[in-house]
Amino acid sequence: MPLQSVENVNPRAIPPPHTDATERELLERIARAKDQAAFRTLYGNYYQRLSRLLARMSVRREDIEEVINDTFWVVWTKAGEFRGASQLSTWIIGIAYRRALNALRRAKLRPVADEPFDEDSISVASTEEEETNQQWLSQGLERLPVEQRMALELTYTLGHSCEEVAAILDCPVNTVKTRLFRARETLKQVLPQLAGMSGDPS
Amino acid sequence: MSRIPDTHAEAWALLPWLANGRIAPEDREWVEAHVQACAECRAELASQRLVASHVNRDESASPQPVASEEQRSFNKLWARIEASESASAPATGTTGVAVPVPRSSRTVRWLAAAVVVQAIGLGILGVTLGNQDTGANDVFETVSNPEARLNAPAVSIAFAPQTSMGTVNTLLTHQGLSIVGGPGSAGNYRAQLSPDAVASGATADSVAAVLSKDPNVTFAQPIAR
Repeated sequence: MPLQSVENVNPRAIPPPHTDATERELLERIARAKDQAAFRTLYGNYYQRLSRLLARMSVRREDIEEVINDTFWVVWTKAGEFRGASQLSTWIIGIAYRRALNALRRAKLRPVADEPFDEDSISVASTEEEETNQQWLSQGLERLPVEQRMALELTYTLGHSCEEVAAILDCPVNTVKTRLFRARETLKQVLPQLAGMSGDPS
Repeated sequence: MSRIPDTHAEAWALLPWLANGRIAPEDREWVEAHVQACAECRAELASQRLVASHVNRDESASPQPVASEEQRSFNKLWARIEASESASAPATGTTGVAVPVPRSSRTVRWLAAAVVVQAIGLGILGVTLGNQDTGANDVFETVSNPEARLNAPAVSIAFAPQTSMGTVNTLLTHQGLSIVGGPGSAGNYRAQLSPDAVASGATADSVAAVLSKDPNVTFAQPIAR
């Protein structure tokens, strides 16, 4: 396996060759031979990642499995149609994202909290500043519209580039920047530590 | 690099990807230069790094799906696929009429086999965990991939303090590694090789040798099995 310092790697090539190439091989086996073992491996590669992401989208716990399985139903049936224009991970996560939006619509959930921010729900009596910040952040994340929240999660939790987030969310790169910009502003309003660190761009 | 849009607003918009290490190479230089000269952007960068670390902390605190849940979910999906494919294939009954096959005995047998394999796996897991020495007490391990964790080659790895989350992700995935434990008291993590990496010839020794040469890695050693 070649030695590669990450500073020399084109970040747009991430996920790195091992992961993407290996997963493409799995997909090829599924497309060509309906290979169950390859399908199971690919499923395992994404199950946990998608479970967390969907939970963060406020998809109901009982719907998460359905969304993941609907996603992999598409992977199983459309494996031969994947042309490789994008990375496999952005294709799969993108399918899950759109399925999750459907699930949220079906459940008539409101991922955007319209009610006023409940400051009393934050336990300021906590002696641990970190813990308090964590509570503020959780509250702040819940206030974000699902599109902004996903842009933030895909960037910070899964470590995707701006272009990859745009591919997953199926929107222009500038839209991703705008969503994240707004998410950052909202979080600053609820996380006191952030508000104290920086102001708006002028 | 044909364009150097050294404007505050554009740099500001790209700060999340400077924070996660995934900013496009053609943007990195001018954004970094701007940040160096702009106190407001430096503060915002620090603030975004804080958000990233909070989001990830929150992430690690969320409940982890366990292996049995994953297997159960997959079993359901596979049963659905089998039912669908059985339904679309004509049944060769004496009537000559194509009939959809309900939850076939094949599915039931497959599920039964999966349960047996799972039980054996859990048994082995129990024995393995029971044999671990007390030094493993401060190590948390995921349970999402039972195949990988039983016998997978593993390395102990520590990163330089300034290493970004994106860099850590890149380093690990390049080598087919997943973190399954840590950090220990010395800041080191336990990372295991994926079955695919092993199949492609990677070993704990080879991966540790590669990683130890990376400037972002302060320590990388194979863990004896």
